[in-house]
Amino acid sequence: MKHPIKLALLGQPNSGKSTIFNTLTGSHQHVGNWPGKTVERKEGRFSHNKKDYLIVDLPGSYSLSANSDEEIITRDYIADGNADLVLILADGSQLERSLYMLADYVGITTPAMLVVTMIDVATDQGKTIDLERLSTNLNMPVAGIVATDKKTYGSFFKILEKALTDKHPVDDTDLYQIYKSGSQSDRFQEAMNMVSQGHKGFSREWLAGKLIEQDEAVIDLIDQKVDDEQVAEYLIGPITGALYTSECKFKWISAKLDGVVTKTKEPSKLLTKFDRLAISRRWGKPLAIFIIVIGIAMSFVIAGPIMMLAGVLPKVLNPLIDNFVASGMSVGVGMFLQGTIVNAIYWTVAMLGFVFGVTIVFGFLEEVGYMARVSYAFDGSMAKIGLQGKSIMPLLVSLGCTIGGAAGTRVIDSWGQRLLTIALAWAVPCAATFAVIPTLATAFFGWAGILVMILLFVIALIHIRITARVFGRKLAPLEERHGLIMELPPYHKPRWGMLIRQTLNKIWGIFKKAFFVILVISVIFYFLAYSPSGGVEGSILYKIGTAIEPVTRIFGMGWQTFISFISSMVSKEAVLGVLSAIFSGTGNIFDSTVGTAAASADLGTILVSSISKAEALAFMIAVTFNIPCLMAVTSTYQESHSLKWTMRIALYYFATALVLSALTYHVANIFI
Amino acid sequence: MTELTNLQAGQKAVIVAIEGDRRYLSRITSIGLNIDCKLEMIQNVKARPLLVYGRDTMIALDRSESANIMVEVCS
Repeated sequence: MKHPIKLALLGQPNSGKSTIFNTLTGSHQHVGNWPGKTVERKEGRFSHNKKDYLIVDLPGSYSLSANSDEEIITRDYIADGNADLVLILADGSQLERSLYMLADYVGITTPAMLVVTMIDVATDQGKTIDLERLSTNLNMPVAGIVATDKKTYGSFFKILEKALTDKHPVDDTDLYQIYKSGSQSDRFQEAMNMVSQGHKGFSREWLAGKLIEQDEAVIDLIDQKVDDEQVAEYLIGPITGALYTSECKFKWISAKLDGVVTKTKEPSKLLTKFDRLAISRRWGKPLAIFIIVIGIAMSFVIAGPIMMLAGVLPKVLNPLIDNFVASGMSVGVGMFLQGTIVNAIYWTVAMLGFVFGVTIVFGFLEEVGYMARVSYAFDGSMAKIGLQGKSIMPLLVSLGCTIGGAAGTRVIDSWGQRLLTIALAWAVPCAATFAVIPTLATAFFGWAGILVMILLFVIALIHIRITARVFGRKLAPLEERHGLIMELPPYHKPRWGMLIRQTLNKIWGIFKKAFFVILVISVIFYFLAYSPSGGVEGSILYKIGTAIEPVTRIFGMGWQTFISFISSMVSKEAVLGVLSAIFSGTGNIFDSTVGTAAASADLGTILVSSISKAEALAFMIAVTFNIPCLMAVTSTYQESHSLKWTMRIALYYFATALVLSALTYHVANIFI
Repeated sequence: MTELTNLQAGQKAVIVAIEGDRRYLSRITSIGLNIDCKLEMIQNVKARPLLVYGRDTMIALDRSESANIMVEVCS
């Protein structure tokens, strides 16, 4: 195959970048991380007019300064000549402000074209944009598109093809004229003298401009070439360089916008009634929680049919396998297939139901612009643990299901913060905990069982704070935490077709990956739990469990509770069934874990006579704060696409659950 | 001249000075708030970020950092 044409998408947050990326590439996407960085890398392919294109969605940032990994990655990618053409996006409804990215790009020699988005929103606001005039003013190719309307892509492709033939760098004459004639023109000239020449895709003027802004990466670059003292002396000067360059850039933008935007009507009121409520000091938070709870309920409604379908699958597939067994296949193989492959399909489809529901519902809230309001309302509370306000949503969703919580983090734009949110969501007790713990707590402590539930929530809150510190160091480093500076985008009309298409595009990819992981772990667990005699005693798990019991006792668990603890990593709902299998011999561990064996009716009585209260309490805490379930691990891997971080978080939870268990057991032994 | 944080909701003003370190200056200007930029205070209540409207955009700003921004109130 011929080498594809390489495009890069550059734009500020909310500029419609991901919508364009998704529309162009459809399902031909690859998501990973930039090497060695906690920043997501998205690339995709598409064809047009028999030509193949490779397009990289550069991380969203407001400028090309070296303030964050996102910005450094973005500008190095462009300057290293990786792209044939850079598509710079600007939001047509706030053209002046969002042209800042283009103004910051001017001086970089990689050819570029401007794409004006949100033209429909601009029209709603009573603004008309003269794209031809803008193109003439800027002396560069300009296309306008409504990101979700494929019809508008026609002229876009024409302009794109022409831009690729011409390959003009952005015209920088006017901007540098302004630099040279403004109040800090001397500083600019001084910087020009020091820079002396361009570097890779950066022109000499661009580097000089960044030197005035005291851009750290550019300082390092110049330091290598020029006498250190000269640079140091220059940097002693006023640090208001960024104010000067921004003044120049906005002057340039203002000149380029001359005659481009016509206002046909005044904007309607800045705040709608709903928005007043959404940002209100008293009602903002309750409203956000209310909407998120409704969102969770809606996700369940959407997930319902898919989960029902998942429930039907084993009923169809298992009899099929039984037929094979009847016609000669060995019983063991039949059970193995039913327990692993059929069960993995069931779990994966059920999980997809959740992921689908949550992605659609909260994707919708993000799309219409509401999540930015949630971010505003919860900024204060979430910033304390290094997160943005939006993170409250996945944490609340996790009260229902950790898988949903992980999927919900998709609305968070920073990869590091997304992963940190998932890591914290694991500590939130999920619905399965509410199904399991009250039964056990009541059996052991009667009415005081309610205290156990309260204790779990207290521990969860402390856990979240500590875990935020542990993982926050790397995922949301202190030096990168700043006060909030965020745009609250205008409300958009929902784009259902787009949203559903995007979600469906992801589902097949998720299915393959999740199915594989769940299958592999199921097979491993099958063999660990397999017992030739059918009872618990014949299994490897039993042998290991009893052999290491002296060690597990330190953590407060005997071999029985420890094996249940281990199987709770696969499925938390199954804990009662597994305990039942072990203590009353009502089935084997594997069947109980995959949910095909029910718990014994008198489980409570058996347990109370078999294990101490201290051990029971330690066990309940260990299970609650253990790895939530196999599907939560899989969906964490799916969202983070980092096996390393998924394993790190899983090991951390496994270890901390044991520590919590040990603490509880030994403290409880003093009192009860 | 007064700090942006003193502006009441509904008041309009022009930014006349921004202090702070290099990073802050770079971040605040790249979202569009620079010297001579006109803005309107949308909401200024305790324990919440400031909400201002400038350059056709509603922008939320950290309260303590915004003490760095000096404005001249428009009559």
